[in-house]
Formats: sequence, structure tokens, C-alpha cells
Amino acid sequence: MTTVADAKWEGRMIELIAEVSLMKADQIRPQHRLREDLGMDSVCSLELISMLAEEFGLDISVEEAAHVFTVDEAMAMARRHLQRGA
Amino acid sequence: MTALAARVDPAAQTDLAVIEAVQRFARRELHPLQTDRQGHLDPSTLEGLEALGVFGLTLPTAHGGLGAGLPLATEVVRTLAEVDRSVAVTVGLHLGLGTRALVRYGGAALQAELVPPLSTGACIAAFATTEPGAGSDLSRLATRVHSDGAWLRVSGEKAYVTNGGLAGLLTVTAASLGDPGLERGLTMLALPASAPGVGRGPEERKLGLKGSSTTGFVLDAVRVPRRFMLGEPSTGARQLEHTLSWGRTLMAAGCVGAAVAALRQARDHTALRRQFGKALEAQPVVRGQLAGAAVRCGAMQALVAHTASQTDDAALHRWSVSAKVFASEQGSQVVDTALQLHGASGYLEDTGLALMLRDMRVTRIFEGANDVLLTHAGALELQRPAGQPQAPACAGARAIAERVARRAARLRALGVRVFQRPEQLHQLGVGVVWRDAVDAGCRAVADPAWQATLCREAFAALRESERRLHPADELARVLEVSS
Repeated sequence: MTTVADAKWEGRMIELIAEVSLMKADQIRPQHRLREDLGMDSVCSLELISMLAEEFGLDISVEEAAHVFTVDEAMAMARRHLQRGA
Repeated sequence: MTALAARVDPAAQTDLAVIEAVQRFARRELHPLQTDRQGHLDPSTLEGLEALGVFGLTLPTAHGGLGAGLPLATEVVRTLAEVDRSVAVTVGLHLGLGTRALVRYGGAALQAELVPPLSTGACIAAFATTEPGAGSDLSRLATRVHSDGAWLRVSGEKAYVTNGGLAGLLTVTAASLGDPGLERGLTMLALPASAPGVGRGPEERKLGLKGSSTTGFVLDAVRVPRRFMLGEPSTGARQLEHTLSWGRTLMAAGCVGAAVAALRQARDHTALRRQFGKALEAQPVVRGQLAGAAVRCGAMQALVAHTASQTDDAALHRWSVSAKVFASEQGSQVVDTALQLHGASGYLEDTGLALMLRDMRVTRIFEGANDVLLTHAGALELQRPAGQPQAPACAGARAIAERVARRAARLRALGVRVFQRPEQLHQLGVGVVWRDAVDAGCRAVADPAWQATLCREAFAALRESERRLHPADELARVLEVSS
């Protein structure tokens, strides 16, 4: 299972975001908004967080995921869950 | 003053006098079979629609429009679709997808410049968002907008543009990658079709809606003034959602019109036609089919009316998804039933039912393919707070709402990973759409027999969607042994 100590997880997260957004991985910035900046609709952004949960083995509720609006918030949420699992 | 201008009262959103004027025009001036054969609208038809004033129906009164809202627009489109679906699509597209973003998000000066000819119909609007490589997945749009000083430069290719051959103005969706002064994200803009660099493709050959124009467009570094941007840069996703909500609702209204016309024709035919010593309509199996079609039409009509009355953007979006899916699916069934009840004569073009069937087919595809929208409806349902359903219209509606709520609760328990299970979301979406249709229908029609018939149809649809949820490994195996 991925842990917060694994330095590669942030890079992998960015790759996943690039897969479902308008951007290439090297253009994605923490402050980017999933909807306005990355061109996702609300369902698409939940699908992204679902992919992150699958990839890193995280147990994230629909309610928690619905409150993620930026790349930074997605990172923080993943970090929180990885720390809990470490 | 146009014929409608004399009758529109913007305060009374559904004005019977307007509907009667449109009805008279449609019955007198529209000839759907002839239009279908020739493959385009007659110039005289377009002139008649202009004189009627229908193109300005929802445009601002300050710029020559009639200032009506979505409820009246849906009634007008429904009325036109009862006679000629191609005309209804041409008008509905202009009022909804074509001009809505300009009316809602365009600046005052831009509206003063662009709206007057749109109000008279001298200029027809189209909506250019779909691309050859991006249908329902708008995050894949490849059309780009770049900043060029006081100008914007747009490049890309657009496909399946309804009204394309008639259009003087395109509402275009493009993506910005974040040039200086232009934030990254989706942006909507108004683009005159006469601008240098706009290349219009040939008319597409289609299964139905042959009187309505469909073309592609190539946008080759098209320059437009920055003020042609609709709303703030990079807010296109939200604008698109609102614009599509209008488009879907108007499209659903067209489905209602066609279904009501087909059912009326089927009832007339089955009342006159005698088989085995009695009128067709007296046969129990036929009566069942007519009643099933009648409750479907009633529910479609109620769902569209309820959707059009929404004033909150999020609510309009949610309801418009249900209205579009339900009206296109059930409208197709009603027209198919009407054709079947005509026997062999229904298969001939002269009855008009074959044309209705062909015209109806695309409504399950455009403005969001239904399977995509059903998955979307399921996902939207999971984002709503869980709780008791609101006071339902009848016991059947309550039972359906509870069944959908239980299904949603089961999926919520899976956590966010449920969004990796589109088949589960799709199944939930089927429940959501039927729940909404039953809710709207049973509020509109108080008769217990009518309500019970609709609820039985809904339960059958829910059971069918559950039955079709096969295990993924079983499906893979079936495809393997069948190849």
C-alpha cells in the first residue's frame, strides 16, 4: 500500500489528474481548480478522486470527496488518508 | 409587430394566445413530409416563422425580443413538434443552445450589437461545442482560444452543429490553456459565422430531422474582439451547464409534442379500424398499449413543465437531465407503439409515423447520449444529501422514491470508489429518472388509476434495469465466446 513516506505518490497523483483533465502533467499546479481550470464537471472530479482512492487504497466517503475543489485539496485529502494508514 | 409580439405577456409565462397562434401557423404552413423529402426547410417556412416572431421569443425585450422564459419556450417548441419536428428543432436550438449563453452571460454592449437580428430571425444561432474527438466528454475539447491583445483567436473543429447551414452566429465552447490575460479553462464565446477563418462544412446526410440543418465547422485562427467572450474567462463549464439545461429541456419538449401527436393519431386510427368484429381500441391488448402510451405522454409533459419552472441553476440542471432522458426514451416508445398500432400502414411514409420515428431517434443521442446522462444522473444523486424523500404525490410514488433512496444508500456505503462503477451509477440513474417522472406526473394528474398505471410502468423499468446488471466477468466471458 502507498504511504505518505513514499515520495512518488504525489507525482502519480498528478499523472492521474492529467489523465482526466485538459492539462498535461507538467502544467498542473496545486492552486488549479478541478472544474474551472482543469475542465472537469462535478461528476468528473468525483471520478478523479475515485481513481485516486483506487490507486492508493484509500477509503474516502462521497461526502468528503464532494468538498474537494482544487488540486491542493485533493493532495491534502490523500495525504490525510495516507498518514492515517501509515 | 410580429404575430406573437401582440400576444406575449412576459408575466404570464404560458400564454394560451401565443400557443394558439403557433398552433394555427403550424397547421396551416408546415408540411413535414414535403420538407423531409426535399431535405431542407423552404425559405418561405423560415420567413413565416420570422413573421410569427418565434425567433425572438426568449430574447430580451430591450433588443426586439419578447422576453419570455423557459416555460413558454417549451410550450412553443412542443406545439411546433406536434406538426413538424425539423421546424421545432430549428427554433428550439436557436432559443436554447444557440442564444441562451449570449442572453445570460453576454455584456450589454455585445447584446445590443448581436441580439436584434437574432430576435427577428434575420440571423439564426447555432451551438458549436461537440467535436469529432469529443462528444459527451467535454474535458477532451481540442478547440483552443488564445489571447491576442484586444482580440481572441479561436482554432479547432466542430461537428454535428444543428442549424449549421443557416447560422449567422455560433455560440462556441473552447479551452484556454492560460495565455496572459486569459485564465485557463473552458470559455464560451459568440462567433459570427461570417468571420474570416470560419469554414462551414457540407450538409450532413441523416436518418431523420432532414429539414433541420446539420454541418461541421473548421475554425482556423478566427479572430473576434475580446468582448465577444460570454461571461468571465474560464467560467465556461458553469455556463455550458446552464446552456445545456435549456437545450435539454427544449429538446424534451419536442419529444412531448411528437409523442402526443403520435398518440392522438393512434387513438384516431384504433377507434376507426375494426378487426375481429370490433374496433381495435376495444381489444384489451390494444387498450393496454394506448393506456401505457397515454401515461407516458402525461408524465413526459408534467416532467418537462416542472423542469422548465425551475429557477435555480443546479435544480434546472438536475431536472433537465431527467426530462431529456425520460422524454427521449418514452417518446421513442410512444411513437413506436403508435406505428405498431397502425399495422402495415404505419410503415408507409404517408401516415407520417415513419417520419416521426426517424426524427425521434437522434434525441436519445444528442445533447448528451442517454447512457452517459443516466450515469451522470446516478452520480448527481449520490452527491445530494441522503434523507427521507419529500412528501410524495401518492403511495406508488413514495414506494419508488424509497426504492431509489435504498439503492443510493447502498452505493454511498461503497465510498467514493463507486464513481469507478459506471454500471452501478447508470442503474441508479434509471431509478432517478423514473422517480422524477413519477413524482412530476402524479402531482400533475390526480386520478388514482392514471397514477397506478404510471407507477406500474416505473416499477417494471426499475426491475428491468436491475435484471440487466450482469457481473463484469460474466459479460467478459460472453463477449469472448461470442467473438
